[in-house]
Amino acid sequence: MTNEPIDLETLRRGARLAGFTWSDAELEEIRPQVETTLRLMRALEAAPVGDVEPTTHYRTV
Amino acid sequence: MVELFWASMTELARMIATKAVSPVEVVRAHLDRIAALDGDLRAYITVCDDAALEAARAAEAALMSGQPVGPLHGVPYALKDLYDTAGLRTTGGSRIFADRVPAKDATVAQRLSRAGGILLGKLNMVEFAYGPEGLNPHYGDARNPWDRSVQRMAGGSSSGSGVAVAAGLAPGALGSDTGGSIRIPASLCGITGLKPTYGRVSRAGVLPLAWSMDHVGPMTRTVADSALMLGAMAGYDPADASTSVLPVPDYLAALSGDVKGLRVGLLRGFFLDGAAPQVRAAVEAAATTLSRAGAVVDEVSLERMSLVSAASMAIVGSEALAYHGEFLRTRASEYDPDVARRLRLSAFIGGAHYVRAQQVRALVRDEVDAVLARRDVLLAPSTPIVAPAVGERQAMLGDGPSEVRSALIRFTRPFNLSGHPACALPCGFTDGGLPIGMQLVGRPFDEATVLRAADAFQCLTDFHVRRPVLA
Repeated sequence: MTNEPIDLETLRRGARLAGFTWSDAELEEIRPQVETTLRLMRALEAAPVGDVEPTTHYRTV
Repeated sequence: MVELFWASMTELARMIATKAVSPVEVVRAHLDRIAALDGDLRAYITVCDDAALEAARAAEAALMSGQPVGPLHGVPYALKDLYDTAGLRTTGGSRIFADRVPAKDATVAQRLSRAGGILLGKLNMVEFAYGPEGLNPHYGDARNPWDRSVQRMAGGSSSGSGVAVAAGLAPGALGSDTGGSIRIPASLCGITGLKPTYGRVSRAGVLPLAWSMDHVGPMTRTVADSALMLGAMAGYDPADASTSVLPVPDYLAALSGDVKGLRVGLLRGFFLDGAAPQVRAAVEAAATTLSRAGAVVDEVSLERMSLVSAASMAIVGSEALAYHGEFLRTRASEYDPDVARRLRLSAFIGGAHYVRAQQVRALVRDEVDAVLARRDVLLAPSTPIVAPAVGERQAMLGDGPSEVRSALIRFTRPFNLSGHPACALPCGFTDGGLPIGMQLVGRPFDEATVLRAADAFQCLTDFHVRRPVLA
């Protein structure tokens, strides 16, 4: 995943892969927030999680 | 005598049990108050006038005939409109569910009813609980009662719960909290709100936002009332696999009013440094109040908070999209455009991000556990700002500018991610008369200690007994 701005074609492809057919206007509207979201996801990828196991069901006793 | 609509749930329960007042008088006082004020405040989506009065008459008859009664006998309450109620529409604050009438009560609605509570109605909320400002274009924005000159945010998503309790339209209510949706409106509306430990209270029959982050809890004017409601509804539920089999303690009995020797960690760094100056000063003053009463206060920081925002977004976004995907494909135009936009963003979050977020969740949980190994509770602001005006987009925090939406959830969602219990309560007012909220966070399933500390603070202060001036 890069830091480059996301173009419309990439947005269309991403939405299609997720099973949605949104209009170009709908995709353009969310483009800035998608870029922010992807920046946050990159931060997540860089998080120092080591070999910590993911939490699934939270601590039910 | 205090007006009935300002009486606490514990006072009402006592007055009803001793036949000092009738449940019918109590319910009628609240229905009259709703009729007089809710056109402006918009706390309710549905009011159950006739059913509530009928239940009150039955409660009165039961009492007069000497039948055994529950701890909430004859006491009215209201539900955020995402709790299923048999035969009564449950909209989730949406147009899509405008005519949805469940066949069965949510487990907690059943339990409150079994304890003798009387349902006044269903409360306004952010559509599908997805947003912290408390706005709703379908049913109107619930209005923060503390400012009559400017329309201010009530906080969300349990906006109607916050407004109804703060304005005397219900003595107590249930909210739900996925990133702060109980504690944010509690903070902005000047009331008490408890997010219990994940697994303490059943979510069965509650419309989900994000299954693994959703928490169900009470919103009341006093800590004692939250303890009363929690005791009536907590505990294992076979209909919710995430509920714990741990016994439910007597939360009211835990309220000793004493904090001598209680170890309180004041959360600096991400929390206090990020709060606006008046909020920071109020929370520091609260720490001093607890210290003077005998608590042992030290300062502590949580270092992994910078990861919370991304992890929460990945988890809440993915789970919310899983629930809403089909509606988003077929009925997108019926959503609040702002909610639809946020749901669409989640299509760009991958499965690996979701799992990575769950790894971060384990790290955050472990860090909070480690800090609580040497302390009984942690103290932090509930929100870094007081209620913003509707339409305000930017806020100035202690460490710089922030979008209002991000600011509102900044201090609450770490504990949705970690699952620890957290109680929000008022700890001051701004010069302009707006409430300031703090939260006390405790060990998993140790709501009793959190409530004890919060109740002791209310015994020492009067912030929770101040009332908004309403025409």
